[in-house]
Amino acid sequence: MLYKKKYSSWLHRINPALKLVLLMGGIIAVLFIHNVNVMIPLVAALAGMLLIGSGQPIGRVLLFMLPFLFVFVSTGSSMILFGKGETLWWQWGPAVISRESFYRGVHIGLRALSFGLIGLLFALTTRPVLLFYSLMQQFRLPPRYAYGFMASLRLLPLILEEFKTLQKAYKVRGVDSVKGWKGWWQKLRLYAIPLLAQSIRRAQRIAVAMEARRFNKSIQRTYYYRPGFSSEDGLMVICWVGIFAGAWIVGVQWPLFEITDVRFNE
Amino acid sequence: MESPAAHNDVLQLAAQLEGLRLRFSSRDTLLFDGVSLRIPRGQKVLLLGPSGCGKSTLLKVLTGLIPEAIELPVEWELRKPLESGGYVFQDPDAQFCMPYVDEEIAFVLENMGVPRSDMPERIRYYLRRVGLAFEDPHRPISTLSQGQKQRLALASALALEPETLVLDEPTALLDPKGTTEIWEHVRTLGRDKTLLIVEHKIAEIVDFVDRVLVIDQEGSLVADGGPEEVQKNHRSLLDRYGIWHADSWAVHDQQYEVAQLSQKNPANTDLPPLLEIDQLKGFYEDEACINMPEVQVHEGEWITVTGPNGAGKSTLLQALMKLIPTKGMSHWKGEAIKNTEQLASEVGFVFQNPELQFVAQTVYEEVAFTLWQKNISEQQVDSEVQRVLKQFGLTEFEDENPYRLSTGQQRRLSVASALVTDRELLLLDEPTFGQDAGNTFAILEELERYRKAGTSLLMVTHDPEIVRRYATRVWEIEDGELKADYAGERVGEQNTGVGHAV
Repeated sequence: MLYKKKYSSWLHRINPALKLVLLMGGIIAVLFIHNVNVMIPLVAALAGMLLIGSGQPIGRVLLFMLPFLFVFVSTGSSMILFGKGETLWWQWGPAVISRESFYRGVHIGLRALSFGLIGLLFALTTRPVLLFYSLMQQFRLPPRYAYGFMASLRLLPLILEEFKTLQKAYKVRGVDSVKGWKGWWQKLRLYAIPLLAQSIRRAQRIAVAMEARRFNKSIQRTYYYRPGFSSEDGLMVICWVGIFAGAWIVGVQWPLFEITDVRFNE
Repeated sequence: MESPAAHNDVLQLAAQLEGLRLRFSSRDTLLFDGVSLRIPRGQKVLLLGPSGCGKSTLLKVLTGLIPEAIELPVEWELRKPLESGGYVFQDPDAQFCMPYVDEEIAFVLENMGVPRSDMPERIRYYLRRVGLAFEDPHRPISTLSQGQKQRLALASALALEPETLVLDEPTALLDPKGTTEIWEHVRTLGRDKTLLIVEHKIAEIVDFVDRVLVIDQEGSLVADGGPEEVQKNHRSLLDRYGIWHADSWAVHDQQYEVAQLSQKNPANTDLPPLLEIDQLKGFYEDEACINMPEVQVHEGEWITVTGPNGAGKSTLLQALMKLIPTKGMSHWKGEAIKNTEQLASEVGFVFQNPELQFVAQTVYEEVAFTLWQKNISEQQVDSEVQRVLKQFGLTEFEDENPYRLSTGQQRRLSVASALVTDRELLLLDEPTFGQDAGNTFAILEELERYRKAGTSLLMVTHDPEIVRRYATRVWEIEDGELKADYAGERVGEQNTGVGHAV
């Protein structure tokens, strides 16, 4: 499982709601960074924080980063090859690499990568249950949404199990998979309908069971988990602001490239 | 005018219903038309009836879940719902909303407004009372057995500190051990409470209740009395509704003439074996979960595979069918088995979960599916399908979607579609599990008919009664190993002792 407790680090102990706000703030901040010299140290720092601070084995973190590296390469390269620019470096048919498009491509790729890193940082260090408890208590999220989400998270592994059973059932009945579009449609129908029907039925039953435990009748709800704030949360705020400020200073003081704004101005 | 005595009576009632009328939104006819019921405080009530008669619905009306949580067209002249009831439902996987054991009970405590500081101690207390004394209650619910999950549900019900315990077929999806454990705890925990129980296996609980109510197909109360009285005077009703009581198997033995069963074992060991296993290992998540020595299966054999939970019985069936990674060799009619496709037309497979093995949109197509893959005329297909549907009592549902059938009907359908072509071998994973007595006997009778015609059966079951009567051979599996392989007795209750002469 993704959220095994034995890999707990100090990031796991940060108040989940605070973490959510900080990381979302980070994503918004990245949107306003147009200097590729700042993005490079920022991504390096985020990667470092993820590798050291997530508490997960490095191999697993790298595995999770794989899809984001792919996004980095694909978004970056398409901007490099097809973006606008004045200083031509290389041309082959419609593919043109200019100085501007090259740096912009690198920048956009890094931006996508930083979103991925921030997302992973959150996902790998936050138990969803604690996040919802924190949202209920710190942000007054109505319990019916919070518990609804938590109950549906419980359904996911069950659906995976059912999917495997279905696969075997079709094999045993000799359902041949057809190739191409028709096969794709057949597969969708064969799997989606039973899995959906089963999930709806189960969700209904769970809802009734929750009701039977007086979920909607509770007058003064108490909480089993009370995510509060500690000095570690302060450390997290400092760390987070520090990463962005540090990246900014490094990028401005010791730029790697002479270009400081990748936006295209005509 | 109500007399003071009558008024006093009302105070002593845990729940009361007068003139209940209720309809399912999807149907035209009333499920209940004028049902009245009074349940005194502290009474232990067992509700019986055929599937679909509305027993669970009645429980939900009595607890107020209908119409508060489930909206249905319903009306009554008078209703006094149970003031506080703790509920245990049938499906162990569909009644928890949290991922961990402690969190699930905490959810109830939160609803009750119990202070956080009292929670850990209370969680341990309720778990102890149902015999789940984990060292660390923070453990994933998914690691519990089905029986443990039902006991966790019982603990969450207790956490409401209810006056009444409401149990809606709590053991339907449990093995015999899990069933016994649940009832043991209900007996101690329910002593000073009102109890409302819906069940179709009553042998283990019927002596604990004060009152048995029987509801018929039309939703009317047809019997109401003490447990002895109902069992004595309404035995035929119980049998007709497929309820498992202490004498169900004796009734079966009379009806199905077990004497016939104990005829000579027709397995023909002179012919070459259908299936040869030679050191077969089955792997589940890279771990060998079953390890079979050299064994052979012959035509006309009914082999029951028995053993404790997690012993590797289901894994064995899946390994034979090549649904999981295997090592070693197995041969089908002398040919090495390489993949599932090779077996699909000659070997039938019935999975444990009937809800997840349907391939078609209607019951008819579901049965016809296997036939369509052979090259036979549409006319032949039709007559075959009709024959099988009739055999399994499914004719009236032929245009229904399989997913809309009841669990019992689904199970019959899955057996029907596995049997429709002449299979030479059937692999069955607890085909009678969770079925009422009527369905169980019908399925067994059908299987026996096919066996006599030469089909071999390899069937996982927990039920010693089935093993005793139907197995021509028994495989006991333990810790992934074949611990014993011996001939079956094939005797019923009357024949015990005599049957060994066969």
